[in-house]
Amino acid sequence: MANAQRILTLYDQPMWESIQRERMALPKCSHCGTFRYPPGPVCAECNSLDYAWTEISGEGKILSWVVFHRQYFEDHPPPYNVIAVRLAEGPIVVSNLVGGEPEGSWIDQPVTITYRPHLNRTQHAFSLADHPTPKSKREEHA
Amino acid sequence: MAPRTASVIGIGQTDWVGDHARVRSGEKPHDSNGYAAQAFVSALADSGISRNDIDGLIVGPTTAYERVGELLGLDVRWGGQADAMLGVMEACQAIHAGLAEVVALVYGNDQRSAAVNYGGADAQGGGAFLSYVYHAPWGFTSQGALYALMARRYMQERGMSHAELGEVAVAQRMAAARNPAALMRKPITIDDYLASPFICEPLHIFDYCLINDGGVALIVAEAERAKRIGRAPVAIHAVGRHDLNRGATSLEPRLTDYYQPAQKLVAEQVFGMASLGPGDMDALQIYDSFSLHIPLALEGYGYCGTGEAGKFMREHGISLARGLPLNTGGGHLSESYMQGWNHQIEAVRQVRGEAGERQVPNCRHVHYSSDVAGKAVAIIYGR
Repeated sequence: MANAQRILTLYDQPMWESIQRERMALPKCSHCGTFRYPPGPVCAECNSLDYAWTEISGEGKILSWVVFHRQYFEDHPPPYNVIAVRLAEGPIVVSNLVGGEPEGSWIDQPVTITYRPHLNRTQHAFSLADHPTPKSKREEHA
Repeated sequence: MAPRTASVIGIGQTDWVGDHARVRSGEKPHDSNGYAAQAFVSALADSGISRNDIDGLIVGPTTAYERVGELLGLDVRWGGQADAMLGVMEACQAIHAGLAEVVALVYGNDQRSAAVNYGGADAQGGGAFLSYVYHAPWGFTSQGALYALMARRYMQERGMSHAELGEVAVAQRMAAARNPAALMRKPITIDDYLASPFICEPLHIFDYCLINDGGVALIVAEAERAKRIGRAPVAIHAVGRHDLNRGATSLEPRLTDYYQPAQKLVAEQVFGMASLGPGDMDALQIYDSFSLHIPLALEGYGYCGTGEAGKFMREHGISLARGLPLNTGGGHLSESYMQGWNHQIEAVRQVRGEAGERQVPNCRHVHYSSDVAGKAVAIIYGR
């Protein structure tokens, strides 16, 4: 078993640098305004090659969630959750919910991006919009 | 109808049960090529044709094309590598185009004895399908987890209960109990299902496919030639495919549409091509790496209304005992995980009337469906 690694293509590298700065950015199409995730060289909506790295608002809603009960990575001992978040900008990102958990269904719960250290990198996570995760709490979760 | 059509004239498989027992006791009976070779020899014998009649070869994605051709002594004029559903489809295309007349489809996999990982840092298929590895930093891995994420949203949005999803595992175990070639033959109840451990919640261990070694082979021939050589052919009445690539890595077409728009388009194609409808199908074979495939396909292909699959499975039934017979050999959950290949030979057996205790009475047409790795594919087999 090994730790979970990032995919770092030419287009992923700037995104991870923005996450390291705790200001996540994605390529935004200069022609039609569509955000790309995963980051890539061309707009899937209009095939424009032009884009600008644009910071996201960090707001979104949970589309679905799971809880892993089997271990696949050394750095992810179960049980742990994974959520799919529909960002306000459109794309779906996969992440983790940290801080308080909703009672009952997690689907459609509004969430806000946060950042936490993981191994030798910073990565995004989300917390419930009405349960902001304080900085000190973030580090406890690392 | 196409001017050239294709039929299956031979099927073969390895000893899944015997080899599984040997692998579990620490032996390694064969590698992927060995399983492929055994299945081919068995299918050729079943077809009754000569090896010299074969002029096309497709090998599964787990073995190398040239090496398998070399091992089997097959010089051909057309060939390639494909998964089960695309293999059948490509054989039909080659026959239709006049590039081959008799195609051997050969699959072998030592996934259990080779301890292949379908999740984690070296997830099988990770390089080919970005979605399987892209979300790893957050611990999201394995194809089962992808279906768990879909299942959670589907169950809430469409109103399917955990117990209703459990109908899949229960029905397929019931089918396997009637199949001497199935690995898991002990019946389970809905309570057993609900009490079983989670792998990736909300999916239980009984929602996951088995992992075992084995092989499967088919011989597909041009329909007119098939009538003249070998044994009674089973017709391939229709094939269809539709892919939803947009947003694939971020799981958009799966999490928001459950891949059903693709299935609806494939349904129009195959039912139109065969001049048949869902009501004409006597049995279904659905690629079931995870149980969720079944309710999604039932809705996607119009066997029940949108949002009605849970109720359909519970009230109408999806077993030989009642309702629509589905994965009659036990499928990937209980028979054998042959990545869709076992479903093809089960469909052929049902149409031939050779399925023994699990035979669907007067089985004329069998619908095969898969939605693997972003490709919705359907095949209709029949008399």
